Amino acid sequence: MSKPKFNSPHINDHKAEDLNLSNDALLSLMTAVLEKGLPFRFRARGWSMSPFIKDGDVITVCPFKDSEPGLGDVIAFTHPVKYRVIVHRVIGKDGAGLKIHGDSLDDNSDEIIPLENLLGKVTEICRDGKKVWIGLGIERHIIAWLSRAGLLVPIYQWLASAQNRIKRKH
Amino acid sequence: MSNNDLEKIYSPSEDIVAREIEGELIIVPLVAGIGDMEDELFTMNDTGKAIWRRLDGKNSLKSLIEDLRSEYDVDPAILENDVLGLVSELVKRRILVEQTKV
Repeated sequence: MSKPKFNSPHINDHKAEDLNLSNDALLSLMTAVLEKGLPFRFRARGWSMSPFIKDGDVITVCPFKDSEPGLGDVIAFTHPVKYRVIVHRVIGKDGAGLKIHGDSLDDNSDEIIPLENLLGKVTEICRDGKKVWIGLGIERHIIAWLSRAGLLVPIYQWLASAQNRIKRKH
Repeated sequence: MSNNDLEKIYSPSEDIVAREIEGELIIVPLVAGIGDMEDELFTMNDTGKAIWRRLDGKNSLKSLIEDLRSEYDVDPAILENDVLGLVSELVKRRILVEQTKV
């Protein structure tokens, strides 16, 4: 059998969006970076955490290290059935797992995620190059409760609309 | 780089993460202590990958080249020049580091 030709080797520069990375590729790279104890930044796809995280926002995920994920935290995990990387909010604990919920999803979409599927904690969201508030301070407990009750999006929309009305008056 | 570098041993830098996924080698530089997919990523063509897999911190460039010669149909001088060229580029980009002698 003849040997293959040796073409000149070269290295190429890319932006992640040009590479169109698969879920497996994203998961593999995220896991490798987090295992080094370092944060991982990537672009969100989807609307399940809207209005806090929107399609195209840049998410920073940090390793848990010694801190356990708690109520109201936004976490990245691999879905135990779909095997996809997902970012949702912790709304409770259930046995050996965490109860999680996408902020914009209906209240029947709660799921239990085993602890071994957790990847890291979301610490920052950037939209158009600017940090956006996603309620990760003490208010996260209230947000988790509202999310669990399915009230988060209606209240958020009501507040946003009230804010706009006030702005228009002034 | 020159022929004098052939005895040197190189390994991937601690400041990168590299994974071969679905046939594509993807290298993420850990700039400022963060793996940032919004920053520049690197890939290599097939022969680049063949060289990369052998840059394991154990084998000298000389033995890496001998190994590739047994696998590929290539002029030895061109192969040596190509390997030294790629290694030089990877070192310049801080993707690869020379192993320090103990």
